[in-house]
Amino acid sequence: MGKLGQYARSVSIIGVGCTRFNNNLAEPERRYLGEGEMFGYAALAAMEDAGIEPRDVDYFYHGAANPFQHSDCINPALGVAEWFGMRGKGAIHHSEACCTPYVALELAVQAVASGAHDVVLTGGIELSNGVGLPGKPACFRREFSFEEMLPGIDRIYDRSYTRAFDGGIGVIFDDWINEYAESHGMSDDEVDRTLNALAYHCRRAAKLNPRGFYDVDFDDLAAQNDMKDGMEYLSSALNPKVTHHLRSTGFETKADGAAALIVCPTDMAKQFKHAPIEVLGTGACTLDVMNPHNERRATHEAARQVYELTGVSPSDLDIFYANDFLIPSHMCAAEEVGYLPKGEGWKLVIEGQTAFDGDYPINTNGGRCHFGHAHGASGLADMFECVHQMRGTAGKTQVKKQPKTAMIRGFGGSQNVRCTILRTVE
Amino acid sequence: MTIMQIEAISKKFYDGLEEGRIYARRCLECGVIEFPPHYACNTCGYHATEWVELSGKGEITSFVLHGIMNARPYLDDVSRKYAFGAVKLDEGVEFNTVIFGISKKNEQELKERIRAGKRVGVRPCITQRDGFKTLYFELDE
Repeated sequence: MGKLGQYARSVSIIGVGCTRFNNNLAEPERRYLGEGEMFGYAALAAMEDAGIEPRDVDYFYHGAANPFQHSDCINPALGVAEWFGMRGKGAIHHSEACCTPYVALELAVQAVASGAHDVVLTGGIELSNGVGLPGKPACFRREFSFEEMLPGIDRIYDRSYTRAFDGGIGVIFDDWINEYAESHGMSDDEVDRTLNALAYHCRRAAKLNPRGFYDVDFDDLAAQNDMKDGMEYLSSALNPKVTHHLRSTGFETKADGAAALIVCPTDMAKQFKHAPIEVLGTGACTLDVMNPHNERRATHEAARQVYELTGVSPSDLDIFYANDFLIPSHMCAAEEVGYLPKGEGWKLVIEGQTAFDGDYPINTNGGRCHFGHAHGASGLADMFECVHQMRGTAGKTQVKKQPKTAMIRGFGGSQNVRCTILRTVE
Repeated sequence: MTIMQIEAISKKFYDGLEEGRIYARRCLECGVIEFPPHYACNTCGYHATEWVELSGKGEITSFVLHGIMNARPYLDDVSRKYAFGAVKLDEGVEFNTVIFGISKKNEQELKERIRAGKRVGVRPCITQRDGFKTLYFELDE
């Protein structure tokens, strides 16, 4: 399969920015925020974090998973550039569904590594809870429910065959956890307890995160419903099963959000405010969902590439992030890349060891189901969180041992997978 | 490499289903079947393939039942229980599709057979969708 070469020069992250992930239309003070304000905020926050001004940035990438539907726009990079002082500079818009933010990092790093540019901003946005209104300015939006979104998910899949064979949406929700359970002899009850434990601990993290979607956790909801604790709530009819294995808390929480980061050559990075976080490499695999077990296979291949390039081994990883809009990905991807011991992941999840305060921290912001999923921005929100964890500035969810080496596993769009390794420059 | 002929590959595939035939492509270099049919070979990476016809016989390698979130409304109209899963044809190709005849009733029995390495055979069930026929499968027995 694929083989990676070394970058022509080392590249590091020097600044990160992220909005809250929420439902703008439900909050009077945020309901009129358009794409310019949201992307612009994230971009300027990343510049402030790096200690630079818009004039210092040479080029930018704009990512959105579905701008045609959510933003009534075909070339959204043009519409945001002037909000953060980059009128007339070079820009590219790109769109790879939920893998968009991971490709965003890959593209920006390649631009700097090649020598084409020195300081590059890369950002992502999705205002997933609304849609732009044709003929009206960007501050006017209407609500867009999960039920309205669901039929459109088919548009992610290949048109020639995958949609016609129903090889996509039916399979993908449960495929990996189903295969995992079969491989490790788990009962349906054990699968249920594992997925509920994932939801429980992800929500705990999201509640503590000032940018997270939720301000209540499942213990709070249990108390409101006269139940013993959050796990009782999660296994109750208030959290119904919606596929064979997944309950409603195992699906993404659709959110409005934007996030951005800034990269430059590592040699230059040392002059800025924070210790640089070097991007060691990105493995990539694109495998259509009609191919059985594509998420596992693509994750395996992308991880293999980046381990081979960097010489990093799974035991070197201190923290792991997985795009988990289907919550089993949190655990299954971590096991596939070797961050969790094979076959032991589900037991560690039930023990809470993959929570932010456990020994194998994963998705310390709560992940897609509980931090929230703004499709074109979410992976960059994970990078924002990861960089803060590596700096030791993650606040109430700071992990026990400050991480030096991290892997971020991107996934989306039927399916594109990226595995990127980050390391703090000493 | 010569300039190949541009051909409406997927149209020929769907036309074949109308006649009860399942068309695939075979690599001119490694001989592996490419299915569903495309121009090039995704096994060895050679550029050229040719048409062949498949038997449609195969077995299930994995499956999962659906819930309300991933049910397909147009399959409810067919009035048969179904699951989503991976089918491996006798010619070697494996892909995700719909399999009729699986329900909670026989789920455990079928899973045990697959776990034990026993064949759970399937045959094609060419099904009418809105304006075209597609290829699903059904249990042999």
